[in-house]
Amino acid sequence: MNPLAVQIAGVALESPLVLASGVLGTTSASLRRVAQAGAGAVTTKSCSLAARAGHPAPCVLPWPGGLINAVGLSNPGVEGELEELAEYRRTCATPLFVSIFAGSADEFGQLARRVAAAKPDLIEVNVSCPNVESEFGTPFAADPEACGRVVREVKENAGGVPVSIKLSAQCASLARMAVVCRQNGADAVTAINTVGPGMWIDVGTGRPALSNKVGGVSGPAILPIAVRAVYEIRKAVDLPIIGTGGVSSADDALQLIMAGADAVGVGSGVYAGGVELFGEINRGLAAFLKERGFDSLAQVKGLAEREGRP
Amino acid sequence: MNLVLPSHAIRSLPIQQVATHSAELKSILFEQTFAAEPGQFVMLWIPGLDEKPFSVSDVRDGKIEITAKAVGPFSRALMECRPGDRLGLRGPFGRGFRPRGRGLVVGGGMGIAPLRYLVHRIERDRASFRVALGARTAAEMMFIGDFSKCGAEFATDDGTLGKQCLVTGLAARLCVEEAFDVIYGCGPEPMLVALKKLADERGIDCQLSLERHMKCGIGVCGSCCVDGSGICICREGPVLDRAELDRVADFGRPHRDATGARKGLVPEPPTTN
Repeated sequence: MNPLAVQIAGVALESPLVLASGVLGTTSASLRRVAQAGAGAVTTKSCSLAARAGHPAPCVLPWPGGLINAVGLSNPGVEGELEELAEYRRTCATPLFVSIFAGSADEFGQLARRVAAAKPDLIEVNVSCPNVESEFGTPFAADPEACGRVVREVKENAGGVPVSIKLSAQCASLARMAVVCRQNGADAVTAINTVGPGMWIDVGTGRPALSNKVGGVSGPAILPIAVRAVYEIRKAVDLPIIGTGGVSSADDALQLIMAGADAVGVGSGVYAGGVELFGEINRGLAAFLKERGFDSLAQVKGLAEREGRP
Repeated sequence: MNLVLPSHAIRSLPIQQVATHSAELKSILFEQTFAAEPGQFVMLWIPGLDEKPFSVSDVRDGKIEITAKAVGPFSRALMECRPGDRLGLRGPFGRGFRPRGRGLVVGGGMGIAPLRYLVHRIERDRASFRVALGARTAAEMMFIGDFSKCGAEFATDDGTLGKQCLVTGLAARLCVEEAFDVIYGCGPEPMLVALKKLADERGIDCQLSLERHMKCGIGVCGSCCVDGSGICICREGPVLDRAELDRVADFGRPHRDATGARKGLVPEPPTTN
């Protein structure tokens, strides 16, 4: 038996590592590449109904704590996306998660219907992108009612495809958001999106370096925030959680699993570690289980909340 | 391999020197704050406008140099820059040329820029090489003086400099006359496709610098991933060898724009490698 095998909303993954949305997943080839590198599932970059070029560069910048980005949801639109999904399906068996983004609950529903036709293994609903506020206003993930409406619309149109809601660490109560997601039919939650937005100023010119001025903060700096978020959600609901944020080692992934995550997103870690990071973390996880005498990741999940000594 | 370098963080630097080759062709020099190999590139930021990748055209006397031609809003703004103006510079990015053995250096148009740095490196290493360069017309040929010194052959579309033919014609003839271990190339993709074919026919290696739409420069955003293998040009390229080029399904075919959509014609179905 594969000790790294996990299930998310009925989808069987051979590794708990999921390519997080927004990193590499632009085309069928880039998704396939990450799948071959050892991801248990791959998530596409968020797609919208119409094509988007995104914000001008600079839009992704490394800093000592990780990355800050305002890519601005560039994507070829749902038509182009469906071609990529079909091509991926023809050439790769690794489970495929499709991230969707829209400006209203109604549009989210239309998009879910279109995307569901491609039969992805899961639809991830991006209600928490922090770098398009000037265009779309406060993300849905900050408002339980608005978020609930989006979840209902997507579920009604998803044709039975499992739905995960990508939450932000920045809301009044993550526990309440998670409960709202479950009550409105969500099959899983992904936590967390990038944090912020933040800003990076070039001291030489005094100007914000991102063209969008502000952008989502990711990478090692946000791992503790993601761990806390997953821990809080796990205490509130029994939904599967894709714990995402700042993972760049097996220990980082274990922290999220011990906080209660069923699977672990890996995104910005690819900057320092390359796509090889997926294989490295898989090996690290397997070594940990063996060394500590665990048969599966399920025995590690949620350890942070369990009584007694492990 | 840990690829996080402090110099990857964005930082503006004052321009030290501007070398004017013509009104539409200039080299911008900065104090060298990081090492860069021939074929590697930097991201150059004009505050308030945009950020674009530029290959390094030379590293010499403590200065790092990029060379640009006025083709769009960004490069036209670059032509207006003066010493002392601050531009953002981060790098080095990607994998450059890996000089080995006897080389044939082939460049076309703006693709000639990084080849000057490559040739300086090969000369430093005292390896033997030949150079063939092409442009539409003599006025657009870069670094004629530098390259003439090392016996470069020139080709122009209008015959105003060297032979009136394609540079790939010169390269093919040189390959018949002399034995090479590797062909280095940078220029328009149809030229690169012809060089790859030449390398295949001669059974020698090639190292060709590819261009794709780039945003992040650090292998994260996915904009520059090629079809087929998904090789990330900003990180694993831009210089690919013969075996790697065989895994680029969109080599010589339409590739992607800022949205990620394929431009122009519908390409053939991708391979699964």
